[in-house]
Amino acid sequence: MAMLEVRDLRVQFKTDDGLVRAVDGLSFDVERGRTLGIVGESGSGKSVTSLAIMGLHRGKGTDISGQVRLDGEDLVSASADRVRHLRGSKMAMIFQDPLTALHPFYSVGVQIMEAYRVHNNVSKQVARKRAIDLLARVGIPQPAVRVDDYPHQFSGGMRQRAMIAMALCCDPELLIADEPTTALDVTVQAQILDLIVDLQAEFGSAVIIITHDLGVVAEVADDVLVMYAGRAAEKGSADDVFRRPMHPYAWGLLGSMPRLDVARVDRLRPIPGTPPSLINVPPGCPFHPRCTYPAQVGGDKCRTEIPLLLDTGMGHQAACHLSVRQRQEIWAQLAPEPSEPGTAIPADIVPATTPEPGEPSEVEA
Amino acid sequence: MRKRKALAIAACVAVTGLGLGACSSSTSSSSSSSTPSSSTSSGSSPSASSSSSASGVSAAFNAANTNIVNPSTAKGGTLTFADSSTPDSFDPGNTYYAWTWNFSRLYATPLVTYKSCPGTCGLQLTPGIATGLGTVSDNGLVWTYHLKQGLKLSDGETITSTDVKYAVERTYDRSVLENGPTYFPVLLADPTYPGPYKDRSKNLMGLTSVTTPDPYTIQFHLQHPFPDFNYVVAIPQTAPVPPDKDTGANYQLNPVSSGPYMFQSYSLNKQAVLVDNPNWTPNEDPQAAQLVSKIVIDLNVNADDIDNRLMAGDIDIDAAGTGVQAAARAKILSNPTLMKDSDDALSGFLWFAYINTKVAPLNNVACRQAIEYAADKTEQQTAYGGPYAGGDIASTVMPPNIVGYQKFDYYNALSQPSGDLTAAKAALKTCGQPNGFTVGLAYRSDRPKEVQAAQSLQAALARVGINVQLHGYPSGTYYSDFAGSPNYVHQHDLGIDMGGWAADWPDGYGFLDEISNGNAIAPAGNTNIEELNDPVVNNLFAEATKTTTAAQETAIWPKIDMQIMKDAAILPEVYAKSLLYRNPAVTNVYVQDYYGMYNYAVLGVSSTS
Amino acid sequence: MITFIIRRLITMVFLLVVVSMITFGIFFLIPRLAGQNAYELAAQYVGRNPTRSAILQMEAKLGLNDPLVVQYWRFLKGIVVGAHYNDGPSQTYCPPPCFGYSFRSQQPVWPQMMAALPVTVSLAIGAAILWVVGGVAIGVLSALRRGSIFDRFTMAVALAGVSLPIFFTGLISLELFSYKWPLFPNVQWVPLTTNPALWARNLVLPWITLAFLYAALYARLTRAGMLETMNEDFIRTARAKGLPERKVVFRHGLRAALTPILTIFGMDLGLLLGGAVLTESTFSLPGLGQFTILAIQNQDFPEIMGVVMLAAFFIVVANMLVDILYAVVDPRVRIT
Repeated sequence: MAMLEVRDLRVQFKTDDGLVRAVDGLSFDVERGRTLGIVGESGSGKSVTSLAIMGLHRGKGTDISGQVRLDGEDLVSASADRVRHLRGSKMAMIFQDPLTALHPFYSVGVQIMEAYRVHNNVSKQVARKRAIDLLARVGIPQPAVRVDDYPHQFSGGMRQRAMIAMALCCDPELLIADEPTTALDVTVQAQILDLIVDLQAEFGSAVIIITHDLGVVAEVADDVLVMYAGRAAEKGSADDVFRRPMHPYAWGLLGSMPRLDVARVDRLRPIPGTPPSLINVPPGCPFHPRCTYPAQVGGDKCRTEIPLLLDTGMGHQAACHLSVRQRQEIWAQLAPEPSEPGTAIPADIVPATTPEPGEPSEVEA
Repeated sequence: MRKRKALAIAACVAVTGLGLGACSSSTSSSSSSSTPSSSTSSGSSPSASSSSSASGVSAAFNAANTNIVNPSTAKGGTLTFADSSTPDSFDPGNTYYAWTWNFSRLYATPLVTYKSCPGTCGLQLTPGIATGLGTVSDNGLVWTYHLKQGLKLSDGETITSTDVKYAVERTYDRSVLENGPTYFPVLLADPTYPGPYKDRSKNLMGLTSVTTPDPYTIQFHLQHPFPDFNYVVAIPQTAPVPPDKDTGANYQLNPVSSGPYMFQSYSLNKQAVLVDNPNWTPNEDPQAAQLVSKIVIDLNVNADDIDNRLMAGDIDIDAAGTGVQAAARAKILSNPTLMKDSDDALSGFLWFAYINTKVAPLNNVACRQAIEYAADKTEQQTAYGGPYAGGDIASTVMPPNIVGYQKFDYYNALSQPSGDLTAAKAALKTCGQPNGFTVGLAYRSDRPKEVQAAQSLQAALARVGINVQLHGYPSGTYYSDFAGSPNYVHQHDLGIDMGGWAADWPDGYGFLDEISNGNAIAPAGNTNIEELNDPVVNNLFAEATKTTTAAQETAIWPKIDMQIMKDAAILPEVYAKSLLYRNPAVTNVYVQDYYGMYNYAVLGVSSTS
Repeated sequence: MITFIIRRLITMVFLLVVVSMITFGIFFLIPRLAGQNAYELAAQYVGRNPTRSAILQMEAKLGLNDPLVVQYWRFLKGIVVGAHYNDGPSQTYCPPPCFGYSFRSQQPVWPQMMAALPVTVSLAIGAAILWVVGGVAIGVLSALRRGSIFDRFTMAVALAGVSLPIFFTGLISLELFSYKWPLFPNVQWVPLTTNPALWARNLVLPWITLAFLYAALYARLTRAGMLETMNEDFIRTARAKGLPERKVVFRHGLRAALTPILTIFGMDLGLLLGGAVLTESTFSLPGLGQFTILAIQNQDFPEIMGVVMLAAFFIVVANMLVDILYAVVDPRVRIT
């Protein structure tokens, strides 16, 4: 049994403009001690998924169905109180911008203590000691002094460390990190990612890292889930997905990155088009309006039939109508010539970011 | 004499100052009172009339104008007054309003005072702390009063003549006590006396024109004879003030009492509380009564709030005594239950316009008469508030409740209240201005009613071609610098000047002298604004000072009135009235004609309140 | 922090001096520019139907003929050192701060103001408690139940409360609850020390009238602030930590939403202490507001000066306290 098992998760929001299908039938597992990286553009549903797992969706117009089993216990059908009990203790989350995510009026120590004392009936002194220990563990110098500082008195990286400390205070078995490095400088990013990896190794927790940054995923993820329009496009080990991607979207993502190990090209190759509206999801395969391969599938299949997430070999799954053979051939052509064998994606170049909606993306003729 | 601006003394038929007399019913009052009430014989206090009273009546509209409403000798309870602003002062020597003079009777008794009774009866003078009205000697130059013996002040001291002398003396220093009338410096023989604060000599007894041969005798030495002197000493300024207790400008905070009540506390701007004066006996002043055990007066209460609280029964009397506000008036006049607890009382005030006899072309009597005919009396009445709040249309200078009133109407003010335009045009022809003329009109711009009246007059006179140009002035300096300065009037052609008048005492002399006697014309502070210098009028005044009986003197006043009207020197507009409301729980309520409001010195509260 | 306070105190004194100069100017200069002179001004204080000599005497007594600079200097000196006055038989000493004697009643101004102050303070503080508790509570509830009937209803009532003038709601409440149904008969000031029960009872209607206006405002402000705050990231973090919703709303949400409201409250209270003019006039409460109106109607310069300075003092102090309070409450603002 995996630590986290998500089965056919659907999250829908009723809005004035229509029904938003933010997550539309998502299933994945996260094992203990392993890190899953969820990748996708904004609006792909990755944050909604994490919030749904944590039970943080509110509002009358929200419908959640499916199963989310944390250590065997389904959270979707559990009472709100039960889920709240588990939040912060068994599963914890860290957020993108630690400056706004931490309360500006309370010191970091107080906020950590609060998180700790919600789930543990201890005195203030004990909680304070715990906070100091945690701050030390995440690498904040002079923790006994800094425990009384306010969030605005920390630098960006230190703040994120403090947030991580807060998330870990009750030894969670599942840690969700939603864009943990997006708001940080490059050098600090690496430190934070290292920290997360270290802590995972130490505590053996399952980790989900949500990001639109492929470089981050490559850095730390064991497994990768590529989301598109609220659905899984591709799923597999990081190695599989990066070296042998089996979905046109993944091809587009990987192909649109600038590379140092390839002969310089005049232009980047972005994916044409923009992500779809989640109210009016394109029929059939949601990616088909931007895909260059529906013709190879033949007939109207891409436009009329939703592709299922099918195995392409050894746990590597993708949702595409192209046959496995076709996809292998196409990738062989698309994959850039590496300068050294086995290094299709250099791990230490500047990672590219996937195009955000609104950014101009040229449509190739 | 000075005019009384707003609230003033109403007067009825009264005796002159020369002696006691029976209440004269020969000259009856006007429409407001049906029969002259002789309910209380002279000298008796209201309490004596209570149980037996043929005079006491139950509540009805206008009942208190002529009868005692709700008579009772029941003691105890708290009487509550409320005022919408603050008194100019509670110091009896430093105040100049009808209501404060009325209220001061609760704690200050002058030498001589008015009888406490409704109707014309209430205009008679009667002894206060003196044993009788003054005796004259030395060809009218010396007035002598004897004090009742054994009367005590609230501090326990006996009242002596030095207390009275000092009370008069302290009013001379206008830099300390700036309110109050100024008759004494004008009439007495020592007008340059600076007052006891500056002149500390002779044991503070430096006023030579007042002598005290013994502790119970006081003598006033006048510059010239003045038959109405008893009226002058009826002003609260002669209420005794012990020299050692005088604190000057601060005396108002806690004056020593010579009346049935004394101050217990006074929070400036907020509230004063009076309690029984244990050293007072009814003998001290039979015209007052000590019925309630506490009197409270709340100050600075919103005027409409006062009316609402009155009608709800939360307070007893509106101290200002000038009538309810417009909102309450509407309520009362449309509600019979409320109306039976109200009275439309004559306030003794006359609203009128001076028609200057020197500014051309008004120096021709016919032109002045044209104005008399052309004025629209109904519009004037409306401007001042209509029949209930404004008053009755006037055709004479003296109001109906002044000694000497006789009803006459030379210019059809009563028969043709909108004006007699035919007669007006005829008068214009006679004076040589058949197409009318232009004339200036002065009024006080901070008095909304006067503004409206001026505008109505302008509109009315325009109907016959008289072109009126309006000029507004501040009321504070209206008499001292503008309308009251003949030079200014001539320079600016202010042929018509608005005014209001009430006398400081209720006889023809008090009412007419300053506004029509040729001798009264002054270069500044002039009150004979029409500058009437008619030998007929002047001689009548001189004759009056030589009369020896009340009837003789009284017969002269209407002649003066008629002559003024023949001269068309004054355009009378309205005999002012106020709609007063009385809380049904209050006892012994009646209008004291001298004040034009309820007599505050005799009130009680019934136990059911 | 100490230097901050000292600097603010110095600024405050300077500000009060400027206020006094401006008030002085308005009172004396502007009428003069309009043509009124000292003689006409003095005429208003002499009593009825004054003679010319009486007016001149008053002019001299009040020093209205002296050059403006001299008059101003005399005023300043009185505040700092005090002054002596002739009340008739003797001289009285008016200790600092001496705002002089009322032109009209010849009574010292400062004791009159100090007597009026408890009325205004009682009114202001009582109403303040009502409107803060009431307004904030309703605002929080409305924000939490956004769009519900409760929310719509209370915000509609709040709109009425903010729009209706005090003299309207005050008069209505008097008409209904004092005159018609005597639940609160004879609303007038009774000092707290004299009779606490009656003091409170007579203030209920004024409190409610005044509080209604402000509570409406604060309810809307709190609601808006809460709605904004509850969308903040740290609220989501608080929930993610597993905190019970009540703690999230109050410790995290309200705490952050309340700071601007706290500062507005300080300013409102400071202004109100200078005199709740409309409420005091409607209910005939003898506080600083009524005192101000009467002083202006009577053109009584020492009284006008006194209330203006006192009100300015309250406002300046309130501002300063609000600044300090903000720094205490929001650590991001502190100058360390």
